[in-house]
Amino acid sequence: MENILSVLIFFPLVAALLGFVVRKESIRVYGLTVAAIEFLLTLWLWFAFDPNNAGFQFIEYIPLVSDFGINYYLGVDGISLFLVVMTGLITLIGIIGLGDVKRLKNMILSLLVLETAMVGVFVSLDAIVFYLFWEFSLVPMLYIIGYWGGERRLYAAIKFFLYTFTGSLIMLVGMLYVAYIYQSVAGVWSFSITDWYALVLPISVQKWLFWAFFIGFAIKVPMFPFHTWLPYAHGQAPTIGSVILAAVLLKMGTYGFVRFSLPMFPDASVAYILPVAVLAIIMIIYTAMVAYAQEDMKQVIAYSSISHMGVIILGTFAMNAEGITGSIFLMLSHGIVSGALFLLVGVIYDRRHTKLMSEFGGLAAVMPKYAVIFGIMLMASVGLPLTIGFVGEYLSLAGFFRISPIMTLLGGTSIILGAIYMLSLYKKSFFGPVTKEENKKLTDLNGRELAALVPLVAIVIWLGVYPKPVLVPIDNSVKALVTFMEEKAQTPEAKAIIHVSTSTKEAK
Amino acid sequence: METLIYTALFAPLVGSLFAAMFGMSPKTLLTGVVTSLLLFVSFVASVLLLQHVMAVGPVHATLMDWIVAGDMRIPFGFSVDEVTAVMMVVVTLVSTVVHIYSNGYMEHDKGFNRFFSYLSAFVFSMLVLVMSDNFLGLFIGWEGVGVCSWLLIGFWYHRKDESRDVNPSISPAWAANEAFIMNRIADLGMLIGIFLIYWNVGSLQYDQVFASVGQMSHGLLVAIGIFLFIGAMGKSAQFPLHTWLADAMEGPTPVSALIHAATMVTAGVYLVIRAHPLYSAIPEVGYFIAVVGTFVAIFAASMALVNRDLKRIIAYSTLSQLGYMFAAAGLGAYWVALFHLAAHAFFKALLFLGAGNVMHAMHDELDIFKMGGLKKVMGWTYAYMGIASLALAGIWPLAGFYSKDTILEVAFNEHTYGIWFVLWLTAGLTAFYSFRLVFLTFWSDERYKEYGFHPHEVQKYVLWAMAPLAILAVIFGWWKEEFMAFVTRLLPAYEMNEHTHHMLGVLIVVTLAIAIGGIVVAYLMYHKRLRRNPKIEASLPYRILSNQYYIPVFYDKAFAKPYAELSDIAWKEIDMQVVDATVDGIAKIVEESGDESRKMQNGNLSDYLKWMAAGALILAVLALVAALKS
Amino acid sequence: MIGLSHYLILSAILFSIGLVGVIRRKNLLMLFFATEIMLNAANVAFAAISSYYHDLSGQMFAFFIIAVAASEVAVGLGLLIVLYKKYGTLDLDNYTMLEG
Repeated sequence: MENILSVLIFFPLVAALLGFVVRKESIRVYGLTVAAIEFLLTLWLWFAFDPNNAGFQFIEYIPLVSDFGINYYLGVDGISLFLVVMTGLITLIGIIGLGDVKRLKNMILSLLVLETAMVGVFVSLDAIVFYLFWEFSLVPMLYIIGYWGGERRLYAAIKFFLYTFTGSLIMLVGMLYVAYIYQSVAGVWSFSITDWYALVLPISVQKWLFWAFFIGFAIKVPMFPFHTWLPYAHGQAPTIGSVILAAVLLKMGTYGFVRFSLPMFPDASVAYILPVAVLAIIMIIYTAMVAYAQEDMKQVIAYSSISHMGVIILGTFAMNAEGITGSIFLMLSHGIVSGALFLLVGVIYDRRHTKLMSEFGGLAAVMPKYAVIFGIMLMASVGLPLTIGFVGEYLSLAGFFRISPIMTLLGGTSIILGAIYMLSLYKKSFFGPVTKEENKKLTDLNGRELAALVPLVAIVIWLGVYPKPVLVPIDNSVKALVTFMEEKAQTPEAKAIIHVSTSTKEAK
Repeated sequence: METLIYTALFAPLVGSLFAAMFGMSPKTLLTGVVTSLLLFVSFVASVLLLQHVMAVGPVHATLMDWIVAGDMRIPFGFSVDEVTAVMMVVVTLVSTVVHIYSNGYMEHDKGFNRFFSYLSAFVFSMLVLVMSDNFLGLFIGWEGVGVCSWLLIGFWYHRKDESRDVNPSISPAWAANEAFIMNRIADLGMLIGIFLIYWNVGSLQYDQVFASVGQMSHGLLVAIGIFLFIGAMGKSAQFPLHTWLADAMEGPTPVSALIHAATMVTAGVYLVIRAHPLYSAIPEVGYFIAVVGTFVAIFAASMALVNRDLKRIIAYSTLSQLGYMFAAAGLGAYWVALFHLAAHAFFKALLFLGAGNVMHAMHDELDIFKMGGLKKVMGWTYAYMGIASLALAGIWPLAGFYSKDTILEVAFNEHTYGIWFVLWLTAGLTAFYSFRLVFLTFWSDERYKEYGFHPHEVQKYVLWAMAPLAILAVIFGWWKEEFMAFVTRLLPAYEMNEHTHHMLGVLIVVTLAIAIGGIVVAYLMYHKRLRRNPKIEASLPYRILSNQYYIPVFYDKAFAKPYAELSDIAWKEIDMQVVDATVDGIAKIVEESGDESRKMQNGNLSDYLKWMAAGALILAVLALVAALKS
Repeated sequence: MIGLSHYLILSAILFSIGLVGVIRRKNLLMLFFATEIMLNAANVAFAAISSYYHDLSGQMFAFFIIAVAASEVAVGLGLLIVLYKKYGTLDLDNYTMLEG
């Protein structure tokens, strides 16, 4: 399977096109089969991946517009590998957990198209191809929110689209400028990311480009103060939309930081640690507070997901292997945990058609299985050791501690504030007496919901207890990245802050 | 030996998972029996390990790697040395007793299976905490016991919130959340301590960290010591993070006995003992710890003096005894702290289990003012609680006498007479409130009849199960010398100086005198009947004490409420009115300018032509300007 | 002597007259006439500049324009007749179907 990556990208798309001729009754089975095959393919990719090779693997290269250096250039390394696997997993889980919605066929086909776009973003090594997939991912999501959403779905969908689109345009300008500089230095055009890595940019140029890319990524993450599209999108999106949005789409932003900002602008990244970290800390504390004030269960999860993204940003800008590895692991764990939490909120919404916490209370007695799974995900969300949430959070904070202990202390309040809003959500919804008559005869999780949630629980515990199979490939690629940044950095300050692991140094 | 380590560690986990399988089904006696048996297996393995450590020396085992990233390499490693072996035996012994006891206590509870699952999971976490060979492994157990404590405090989650006047802990669910969040605050401190260690040592393994204590600067050591101690303060409920412990009494009584008296709350003390090479290097932090401990000792004892709630009184006494342990550990007498920890675990668990018997008999009534004269119907329980209270009060020859008296000697020996005096005074208060409880519950007039209670003794096997604790509460102190010889193979030996040796007899007499004095006062006041003085009860000091110095109310007003209000402002005022409004504002400007310019397109060709002409004119002018410039 | 500038001024005057006509007139037929005037203004300019530079391409363009103008009139007048038959008026203010 030389061109496994192309297969991964285009299999769902082709399947979606073929899906138009599938009969309505069998579309669910069809969607499940396609998603399952895609997930198995991603697993195959993982097994075929050589964890000791820190560079890009499964490279594919087809010239598209050679005069302008635009090529169909794909590859994965430890950083993107697991994001691809997670995309396959979450899409599969999402389709399993999909309840009865109107126009099921359109929904499933949109999801498959979306999967193409998401995988494409993570495996592209050409900036233009990356950008195409990046923007393409907005379209199915726009449709999902705009058609299946709640009352203000159009407002939310358009806000989501325009906001992220504006950011991406600024990023595009940045990309074009990098390509222009590359052309003026090397004499030929190239949009290949690996070519761009080799480009040593003057620091003043780096600083401008850093912010151009930053805006594109920060809106996607979303970082404070660009975050307000997210609560609307989550509030209005159908369950599956929120799951994919929180689990995968947001990760594109943080992935972008690791893939573009850090290796291309090492000096600027180091120089701007302070403002970025301050934004991240505001994001952690402020959105955690906002989450606490919410009355709607889903909004609590939505804001909590912003808050956790702040920790990811801190880890990314730790400039050492511990922090960056942690932040990538946290992307995975956040994807799985927040995906599961949104699925869980969807479960109760399907039954009661409300998400207000005041409508519930005492659910633990009525729906014990639901309460248990929610409890496990809650604990993973607040970062309990031996669940998946701890490893990434701990490593991210540990990494950033080397940059600034004080800011780590502030960012670390995430573990306190997270416990506050999550536990109060749990108490309001699950504890106490059952006060509402409608809640007394709620049915517990059914087979379909369990089939979606139990695998996630298993992963949460498995990767919490034994994260090594995932950590090692990530860590190898990240160590290579950090070493590369350290060598590329021009200012002595940047060289001092970028911390190459002792083990890497000894290996040399 | 590895097999023994893993047997001791994983038997409770297996039990927990087994019980969890039945978690949602109705009570099956099997879960209680199986978990108790597995706990007993764990206890036997711990004893064997203790023997092995005594005879041969520490054992170490590494299961597998856990976190590997950068230079960080954290294994699941377990080491059983002298301190760990003692902790393991104490934990598994008390746990086994509590498991058997719970079979009777939780007999009629709907969540019987669930309870055993949580309880065994707790023991597993606690064993991870004490057995781990690195700081992060300790942190796993640290958080694990926190979650189990959350689950168990909130075990009766279905109860509704009451106002503070009706129920000072509001509701089990509230108390559980409070405990978890308070602990999280401390855990952040601990995490920071761990980060400090990692970036300065490059490892989190105990042996490597303690070996490099000598190379670290003094300021760094102080910082690490303080941050780790902040973690300890949360788990061991030291001031100002103490309020959760009393509220934790909302949990079932066996839980209070196991978690909130014998084991989990002593984790903080364990941490300080474990990190003794670090704390020995920074005596000023040690002194600070001792002062905090001493303060908590008298502070908690004072609240116990006037409380009417059976379990809360014991909870405050736990708090107070934890203060003693910290005082000893802070002053450098680590083995004494460990000794008191073990002795306290036995007699305090016994006391709580006895209290559980009383609650059982009184249909969950906790107000000791409504009891009295119970010794007639509950002779065994009376005997047990009597023994436990004597031990707690430090009466010769029970366990508490040896351990507590040694702490006082240490305080005297260190010339910290202030600490000595406060602890000495606290010993008197302890004796008084313990026996106030005993006399009001078991002696005096039979007030329960007024309230229509029909107390009865608990099942025989439950009483038998408590016997080991009672025996240990009596005889444990007799092994003081052996215990010291054993644990000081790892911990620094603490030698009294000449002066103290001379004074030893006097010190013992003085301490015993105040303890007996306390008991006598309690006897005089309460042995006949409940004496209440409305004037005193209305007085300010009394009200301050019975309202826990108004600290919970203060926390509510100063932290919880403002946080909620601030959160609300952050959402409604800032997020919606400022951040989002800005975004929407920009969008609106674009939209409205579009809406305005839309009017140009009115469909009238003649107007269009005018616009075209104007545009052409502007272009012409621009072209002209450009031409003139160049 | 009549020089190039005179022709150009004439062309400009004609163009302005046409432009004003285009802007001010409301009758489509009149608009047509105004456009023709503007085209012819361009023709004058083309012819004049062509002769000034002794380059025939200007005059060629003038012929082109005349041809285009003729066909435009043929098609345009046909459309106007259809419009008049349909609505009974050629007043521009009545045709606002493309209002945004």
